[in-house]
Amino acid sequence: MTPPRGEVLQGTLDLIVLKTLDAMGPLHGYGIAQRIQQVSEDLLKLNQGTLYPALLRLEQRGWISSKWGVSDNNRKAKYYSLTRSGRKQLTSEAETWERMAAVIARLLGAEGV
Amino acid sequence: MNALRVLASRLRGLFRKRRLDETLDAELRAHLQLLTDENIRRGMNPEEALFKARREFGGVQQTKEAYRDQQSLPLVESVAQDLRYAIRMVRKNPGFTVVAVLTLALGIGANAAVFSLVDAVLLRPLPYRDPDRLLLLSETLPKQGQDELGVSAAEYFDYRDANQVFSEVAAYQSAGFNLTGGATPLRVNAAALSASAFPLLGVDPILGRTFSEDENRAGAAGVALLSSALWKNHYGADQHIVGKVIRLDENPYTVIGVMPAWFKFPFEGSPIAESADLWVPESFSQDRLKDRTNEFGVGFIGRLKPGFTMGQAQADVERIAANFMRLYPDSYPGTVRVAPRVFELSMHSVAKVRPLLFLLQGSVLSVLLIACANVASLLLAKAGHRQKEMAVRSAIGADNARLLRQCFVESFLLSFLGGVAGIFLAALLLAGAQRFGPADLPQLQDLSLDARAFGFTFVLCMLTALLFGMGPAWRMSRVSPLAGMKESAQIAGMRGNHRLQNALSVAEIAIALVLLIGGGLLVQSFRRLLKVPMGFRADGAVIVRTLFDRDRYSDPLKREAVQKEILFHLRALPGTSEVAAASHLPLGDIRQIGFRPEFAAADDYHWAENSLVSPGYFAAMGTPLLDGRDFGENDGRNAPSVAVVNQTLARAYYPGREAVGKRFYWGDRGVFTIIGVVADVHISALDADPPPMIYNSMFQVESGASDRCAFILRLVNSGQSAAQGIFPAVRQRIWSLDPDLPLYGETTLNALVSASVAQRRFTMLLMVGFAAISLLLAVIGLFGVVSYLVAQRTRELAIRMALGADGKRVGWMILRQAAALGLAGCGIGLGLFVLTSPLFAANLYHVHRFDPLTMSAMPALLLTVVILAAYVPARRATRVDPLVALRYE
Repeated sequence: MTPPRGEVLQGTLDLIVLKTLDAMGPLHGYGIAQRIQQVSEDLLKLNQGTLYPALLRLEQRGWISSKWGVSDNNRKAKYYSLTRSGRKQLTSEAETWERMAAVIARLLGAEGV
Repeated sequence: MNALRVLASRLRGLFRKRRLDETLDAELRAHLQLLTDENIRRGMNPEEALFKARREFGGVQQTKEAYRDQQSLPLVESVAQDLRYAIRMVRKNPGFTVVAVLTLALGIGANAAVFSLVDAVLLRPLPYRDPDRLLLLSETLPKQGQDELGVSAAEYFDYRDANQVFSEVAAYQSAGFNLTGGATPLRVNAAALSASAFPLLGVDPILGRTFSEDENRAGAAGVALLSSALWKNHYGADQHIVGKVIRLDENPYTVIGVMPAWFKFPFEGSPIAESADLWVPESFSQDRLKDRTNEFGVGFIGRLKPGFTMGQAQADVERIAANFMRLYPDSYPGTVRVAPRVFELSMHSVAKVRPLLFLLQGSVLSVLLIACANVASLLLAKAGHRQKEMAVRSAIGADNARLLRQCFVESFLLSFLGGVAGIFLAALLLAGAQRFGPADLPQLQDLSLDARAFGFTFVLCMLTALLFGMGPAWRMSRVSPLAGMKESAQIAGMRGNHRLQNALSVAEIAIALVLLIGGGLLVQSFRRLLKVPMGFRADGAVIVRTLFDRDRYSDPLKREAVQKEILFHLRALPGTSEVAAASHLPLGDIRQIGFRPEFAAADDYHWAENSLVSPGYFAAMGTPLLDGRDFGENDGRNAPSVAVVNQTLARAYYPGREAVGKRFYWGDRGVFTIIGVVADVHISALDADPPPMIYNSMFQVESGASDRCAFILRLVNSGQSAAQGIFPAVRQRIWSLDPDLPLYGETTLNALVSASVAQRRFTMLLMVGFAAISLLLAVIGLFGVVSYLVAQRTRELAIRMALGADGKRVGWMILRQAAALGLAGCGIGLGLFVLTSPLFAANLYHVHRFDPLTMSAMPALLLTVVILAAYVPARRATRVDPLVALRYE
């Protein structure tokens, strides 16, 4: 039995996508999905379709931009890249997340003691 | 910022839907392709690879849905869908749509029209600075039943100087001038104002300046402010008018400015024909200041100091009045005790029309309620046929909220169409009212459907839709898929419909009855009014007014000679039978004098209407002489002073005794002997009871009113054209004697009478119109309900008849049910009328608000019409053929 795979937490998908684009540079939807699964070592259960509404949402907010291009194996694909305000957003969201994670960790730790 | 950007993007998505859909398709296809490629690379066969790719991707369709929701505004889109659907429904049932929209248009349009009137007259604040701090002060003489005299000049200064509640005060008075120097002399309305009036009201001229304090002093050089209308019409909007000199009553006045077009003070509530043409500074002569109670009529406005209330102002002016009455006991004896009262300026100018406007708006809202009930009834009837449709929609996944929304979208669409048609109807109604409405309803002429009226109409449409859409929507959305699908759906769920429809019908009948009774009472009032003995014969008499101003006619004897000569010349005109003159005519001209009967206590003063007339006046007016004699040629300036009194005065002061031969005192003019008694004549208006009245001979008495003169010509031929045809000849005769006499107010006595009842006629016609519309709508509604009832029960009726019930009895049953609805409606309607009757009472004349005739005739009329309306469907019920009916089902 493989360990149960975690659902993507509400609201964290945005952060994940932003970070992925930050690390990898312009990427198409498939690439983002692959990268997320690769990094999470298949611990995250991602329904790849759910990526697209999230990408649209980020684009509407101006945090990422998109452009049609050609993939490595000569397929037409839409490439997403991080914008300047997206980078700022990533920094602030990452900070929030780390603070949150630290608080949770401390809470859990305290309970153990 | 971000939210805006998202909204913009979503809105773009709303309109570029197809293109964005295609882009998404391509993107998702590419993703799947890449996944498949990868799977193939791992060694799967293509089919397996595609299948695996799809599973990893998740639902393509769900992704698209979620994407679309993110991309556009889902609510807007589904409402748009509902709207498209509603438009299709509306177009598919043109008959239903036309009836519903017209019904609503009638209700909404009438409301919009009446609202624009109410808004203009009642709701809009006066265009002055802080209008709700402006108060008006007026005195009454409670012991003499004298209402609102204004104040006297001397009292004005007392109030001005001694008050502690007003930050600013001003005096005003209405006046009239002959404006000469143009092609023909012009009679202009004017008001005399304190210099302080302009800063007090917060009004600036559009040209020039307003009065200075110096110009307010008696004896200062004359200055005048022109109204915008006079400046445009008479002086061609001359930009250099300031500084020019005009002649008013032959005196020079320098024009110092022009006021804005909306400035009408103090005539805000008056018809346009009587609004001020110009303003001059108010200055009181020494004479007026000396005698404290000889002449009132000065208007007093004040601006309440911050922090003070109207109650404090009232107490303050009462204190001041008590003080000056104590200081000058000789001026305020017995019946001349004054009682001051403060009013809000904004309320005061519309006090008279307020009950009328409330009544009209209330009635017209009732008409709209009936219209709503009717449309709701129609929708309910239609709901019966649409149950299946709703059931299907609900079966394929529409939830209740969605069905409810669909129903309301349809209601809003109908209401919106009704509103659009209603606006056109309102424009028509307003044009009609301006053309045929009474001239003395203030502001009627400057009405228009403006943004506020449109706003009101829009809100009304929304409320209307909610009101009539509620019942049907609730009923339709609560359909269970199963019940709807059954063949017998038409019978199931019917009872509830009936109960709702019956209730609506009863409500309609009840409201219609209230309007019918109200309209009936107004008709009764109007008939009583027309039957009131006027005291003069209106047919075949014409009037021309003029003014012998004191500068050109400083010698009374010279004036008398010209007046007699004019009378002589007019008598010679072909077609005239009697000719006379008077300073004041019935139905509008008001002039009061104080008198004291001989042998009465020294302070027993009373007021009476007064007019100075020429010998032959009563014959020319057709006023019957009841006792004694008319003035004669011998009652001249050196002869003993004589007077003719009316019946009311004779009865009030000489009850059971002969009035002729009795004497009374009129101020310091000495003693007058009564030589005759004439029939009562209505003075201020036809619907005001005749006051006591004293006539004097214009060739014997010299008074402040001596310069006023109206010529009355009784014609042999009483036709309208004869009346109009005589004016040029009259003008020519008078001007041949003095070309500088201003002639104005050319009219007939008949026109005076109809102008006096115009407002009542207008109200009555409107109310009768509303009552007729409501009766019609209620009857249509009931007809619909009964017809529907018969149609729905065809099967039941057929079974009854197949079992031996006879057609007649079935018909009776239907009629009985209609009569029950009618009776219930009439009962509730009578109750409603009792509750709302105070609204009507203020507009009635000599008719009790619970007039038994109207209260019994109107329900009888309504019931008869209800039964007649039910007769047609009832007859159809008697003809149901059991075989056909059962086969049909």
